[in-house]
Amino acid sequence: MSEIKINRRDFIKLTVAGVSVLAGSQIIRRAQALETVASNGHQWAMVIDQSKCTGCDYCTLACRAHNDIPPEISWNVVTKTGTVGAQDVYTPRPCMHCAHAPCVDVCPVRASSYRSDGIVKMDYDRCIGCRYCEIACPYGARSFNWKQFDGQNPAVPEWGQPEVARRPRGVVEKCSFCYQRIDRGLALGLTPGIDEDATPACVVVCPVGARQFGDLNDPESNVSKLLHERTSYRLRDDLGTSPRVYYLSATEEPQS
Amino acid sequence: MKIKLPNFSPWRVWIGGLVTVIAAGVAAGLIVLWKGLWLTNLTDMVPWGLWITIDLSSIAMSAGAFSLCAVVYLLGLKRYQAVARTATFIGLIGYTMAVLTLMLDIGRPDRFWHSMVYWNEHSLLWEVTMCVTFYLAVLALEAMPIFAGIGWLRSHWPKLAEKMSRVHHFAPYLAIAGLALSMLHQSSLGALYGVLKARPLWYRPDISVLFIISAIAGGMALTVFASMLSVRLTRHANVENSILDRVSLIVGWVLVVYLYFRFWDALSMTYTYEPGRTEGLHLLTGGPLSFNFWIGEILLGAVVPILLLLNKRTRALPLWRMLAMALVVGGVVAYRWDTNLSGLLVILSYLPGDPSVAYTAYRPALIEILTGAGIVGYGLLAFSLGVRYLKVVDHNSIKTHTEEPKIVKAIPVATD
Repeated sequence: MSEIKINRRDFIKLTVAGVSVLAGSQIIRRAQALETVASNGHQWAMVIDQSKCTGCDYCTLACRAHNDIPPEISWNVVTKTGTVGAQDVYTPRPCMHCAHAPCVDVCPVRASSYRSDGIVKMDYDRCIGCRYCEIACPYGARSFNWKQFDGQNPAVPEWGQPEVARRPRGVVEKCSFCYQRIDRGLALGLTPGIDEDATPACVVVCPVGARQFGDLNDPESNVSKLLHERTSYRLRDDLGTSPRVYYLSATEEPQS
Repeated sequence: MKIKLPNFSPWRVWIGGLVTVIAAGVAAGLIVLWKGLWLTNLTDMVPWGLWITIDLSSIAMSAGAFSLCAVVYLLGLKRYQAVARTATFIGLIGYTMAVLTLMLDIGRPDRFWHSMVYWNEHSLLWEVTMCVTFYLAVLALEAMPIFAGIGWLRSHWPKLAEKMSRVHHFAPYLAIAGLALSMLHQSSLGALYGVLKARPLWYRPDISVLFIISAIAGGMALTVFASMLSVRLTRHANVENSILDRVSLIVGWVLVVYLYFRFWDALSMTYTYEPGRTEGLHLLTGGPLSFNFWIGEILLGAVVPILLLLNKRTRALPLWRMLAMALVVGGVVAYRWDTNLSGLLVILSYLPGDPSVAYTAYRPALIEILTGAGIVGYGLLAFSLGVRYLKVVDHNSIKTHTEEPKIVKAIPVATD
């Protein structure tokens, strides 16, 4: 009988310990969420003007070349989503770089993480390829490397030169906001969004200027001004993911 | 020809068949590891398929271990000890099956240890991985006394065998650890789906509860079924019918609880149109998964076994009881399969405007089936060997076993 009593006491102790560990992790999580919001410095964002986009898909191809992506994967997908007047409307979709990214939450190994500038970064050396993030992403922005990508990239050299290492078979990959360009550009004293060498490849290649990139913390940046002047929306804002990609709706008369 | 025939005893045919299935599975598995996951029918739309179902099901089927060990060592109902022993052995097999399946399913099996080192405590999958790893260790310890019974070990390493069987004294503590770890990850496996806001059919709190309740029913059912089948097939097994009868009654009542929660869970989703969720529910109730749902999960998986198990007369008849248990196991597997696919086959558009929903399809490739069969074959082989050589279904041995600790316990008291 006494043996059972000890067991029960231990059981309660263990339960209390378990609950407090869980509660503790939740508190840590809150603290971390606050940290990302309070972070100073740059907060990169993209604005896509749907009244300008013609659906040419140059962005997808430039992205494939600069990031050395296999032809069966697109980090950026352009979809026709309707018409306004006589004009077709397209919705390009890079990674949303959510402030509350489901992929970051679910990754069992922290292969997806937030950079202090808001970019959701993938660590391809850490990813175990469980594909939980693919299932969790509301935007379908993630692709798994089912096959090893060998040989020539058909988008190179016509659309640019690879700037990052090819991902190995068995990991998930996604748009990086070309942070290799941002980081190198900043080191050279350039301004992302203004200087082409410091700006994501899709923004640079766009022939109609439908994509703008810049710092939300800088009130004078292209994106801050556009978001101030025009009404914007974000994809699946109802999910609370807080994407960093903003859309300007297509209107009957193209604005400015 | 006729001279060779006597060699084909049912046991040898059974083992030979299993070894063949396992060999095919190993070959297919090696091809997957070598060539990559593009050989499967998994896609970016349906990245989890048959293997995840086997993974979830083998963990669910192992739930008999923690629940029966808790009954024996925490509730103090010692007479269930023999069944708990069988369940523990099944649990050890089940979790190793799950680990094997996961090693195939993840893209980088060489990095399986990353979740041990790079913690993401926000991730339910991280929590599940940690719990499964620790629980596998607990199960290995719990099964130590079983392995101590190997004749070769006893004759060659008597001291080691003695030490291994002494692990039994820690059984209550292992039962506590097992209960805590299982309560966490058995339900988290459901919550893994339930926390995903992007998947409206899954995004509800009930899946975690349904997963653990169905796992308890399924795990106990498999234990009873495997025990009864062993007794019918081999003289190496023996059971005490009254104990299995009690466990069967428990399974019946657990199923009632499960069906009750499932009813309200499903019914509450039928009200008002919710993009993605309504379509997912239609997949289950009227679409490609409807046979699985209505017949596999609800009718054969729950209603029929409830009737068979709560009715004293049918429960007392071995064949009816075994049928009921097999149906429960099938129903739990069907539930795992349906849960995974009903959420994945519906693709909710992220585009603005009217929420548009598209459907995709999934059917496992031959190579997925072969590897899956190989893993199940391994489980069956391990259990068969356990019944024959480790006496894992032996309700008589426990009676002497329960006396043993008393004698050992008396020694320290005497030396004091």
